[in-house]
Amino acid sequence: MIDIRQKLEEIGAFEPHADDGLLVCRCEEVTKGEIRKAVHEGIFTIEEMRRYLRNGMGLCQGQTCGRLVKSIMAAELKETPDYVEPASARAPMRPIEMEILGKDQGGAYE
Amino acid sequence: MDIRRYDMIVIGAGPAGLSAAIEAAKHGVKPIVFDENARPGGQLFKQIHKFFGSKEHKAKIRGFKIGEELLAEAEKFGVEVVLNATVVGLYPDKEVTVKIGDEIQHFKGDSILVATGASENMVNFKGWTLPGVIGAGAAQTMMNLHHILPGKKVLMLGSGNVGLVVSFQLMQAGCEVVALCDAAPRIGGYGVHAAKVARCGVPFYLSHTIIEAEGDEYVTGVTIGEVGPDWKIIPGTKKHFDVDTICLAVGLSPMSQLLDQAGCRMKDTRGGFVPECDAEGQTSVPGIYAAGDVSGIEEASSAMIEGRISGITIAEYLGFAENEEKESRINELEVQLDTLRQGMFAPANRGKKIEKTEEGIAISENLLVKGFVSDEEIGRFPGVTKQRKIHPVMECTQNIPCNPCQDACKRGCISIGSNITSLPVVDKEHECIGCGLCVASCSGQAIFLVEEDVEPGYGEVTMPYEFMPLPVVGEKGIACGRDGRAVCDCEVTKVRTSPAFDHTNLLTIKVPNDMLMKARFYRAKKEAAYD
Repeated sequence: MIDIRQKLEEIGAFEPHADDGLLVCRCEEVTKGEIRKAVHEGIFTIEEMRRYLRNGMGLCQGQTCGRLVKSIMAAELKETPDYVEPASARAPMRPIEMEILGKDQGGAYE
Repeated sequence: MDIRRYDMIVIGAGPAGLSAAIEAAKHGVKPIVFDENARPGGQLFKQIHKFFGSKEHKAKIRGFKIGEELLAEAEKFGVEVVLNATVVGLYPDKEVTVKIGDEIQHFKGDSILVATGASENMVNFKGWTLPGVIGAGAAQTMMNLHHILPGKKVLMLGSGNVGLVVSFQLMQAGCEVVALCDAAPRIGGYGVHAAKVARCGVPFYLSHTIIEAEGDEYVTGVTIGEVGPDWKIIPGTKKHFDVDTICLAVGLSPMSQLLDQAGCRMKDTRGGFVPECDAEGQTSVPGIYAAGDVSGIEEASSAMIEGRISGITIAEYLGFAENEEKESRINELEVQLDTLRQGMFAPANRGKKIEKTEEGIAISENLLVKGFVSDEEIGRFPGVTKQRKIHPVMECTQNIPCNPCQDACKRGCISIGSNITSLPVVDKEHECIGCGLCVASCSGQAIFLVEEDVEPGYGEVTMPYEFMPLPVVGEKGIACGRDGRAVCDCEVTKVRTSPAFDHTNLLTIKVPNDMLMKARFYRAKKEAAYD
């Protein structure tokens, strides 16, 4: 387990950067600054970040920004990307209409 | 609850998935293959270039042809392929949920092979969300599947094989590639691919990255800058290009989420989030396998072999093949796979700077930074000999696993030997008849025929040429050097096409004798300029 308080102290306070307005998750319109700031608020894993900012929760499901968010978080934490725990994978893997999901009765392919 | 059961469920009808299904079906397994796309073949049908390797790897065959062969084989062995079928869930008990049409259907497999491939990486820079910033794969889809030009003037970011191959294809399709840049200090892909692009006149900017995509509504330009050792832009190094398209070829990430969801043990590597697999593709969950890019990024040729290895392993796991049969087939396939993983670009050499070839020859530094071997460097390679009579000049200077040229020459002029990564050697003792089969067989378009004194003071250079329209005999144009710059005036003396050349045309130009080792590309007069 990561000692969040200690880690937060170690990485210091959030400092604004010139490129904070850069859009990282375009589906949910989450910026680089928002992600960096969230790290300083104690968000260290992708799972938490997705719930906190909704990055990677849109149409492409993080296919585009997943790796970018991970490296932004890692840089902010002064760690390599594998330090940042990935989100758990859940069904449905692809965006799917509620109408289709809702009527799933377990039928098979004919 | 109605669940259909299958011996083997394959997710992804790309090179790995189809190969696995075919291999298993050969032993009596009944596989079903799901693919979310409208067409099978994965990325193979976008690959219009000739593949590397040797005969058993289908070398010198174009990717889409290999795709057609795979589909025919799948049909022959009764592999059921369901298209527009998106697998949305994979569970530890090997149950799969698939969206087909407007419903979710349930399947259970005695074995599952995940061959979902990879997706393109992106990079962030100011303006990256503007229309006109696209992935290299998207550019290939537009050009090679839908026959739509992605743009007119393109900047390519990424000098790996994808960036190099797609840059060349963009030019074949009629786009202008204004520059190829990469933040890395050296070109990542094959030197022969880079050389093809460089001799068309594309400048390479290594240690450069994109600062900004310009434009309000869509891309109208791009600014790049040089990066220092700290990966920050060095002040005063900005360069601007007018472009309408920025193409990104910055790597791929495995689409491995289904495996994670199924409870397979995963590992977080520099190459992405991948399942822990043994050599046969078996994950930590018995009966669930992975093959191809999803288990680690490589290329289509190795994905097909990995697929076959998983296919026979699954056949044995299900009781359709004897252990002995499996072992001998796997040995055979592993030799093929091992061959592909040799040479300078082997997975084991990733990130390493190779300074000498296996033969002990210094690697061309110019090739690694500018994309072409300099006139001073070219003479030191064994495929480059000085002869008056017609002979092949093989500008193959890096150890890559490829040998079709050796088989192409029936005269014995070219030898590579049993080590597939060795540089080709031109044997002066054997008589070249100028048939050009070697030129057309080279997937790297690195072979030229050179002959001195076809008339007093003039000789001929024959080069591979894959652009339309084809020049005509008698046409006067300009010969360009390896760097794409004009070297002299020239005349087209021969244009050869043949089914045996498989769309690599042979263009022969007449140039002064002293330009024979310099002229490597042809341009019609109006578009080339001396500088």
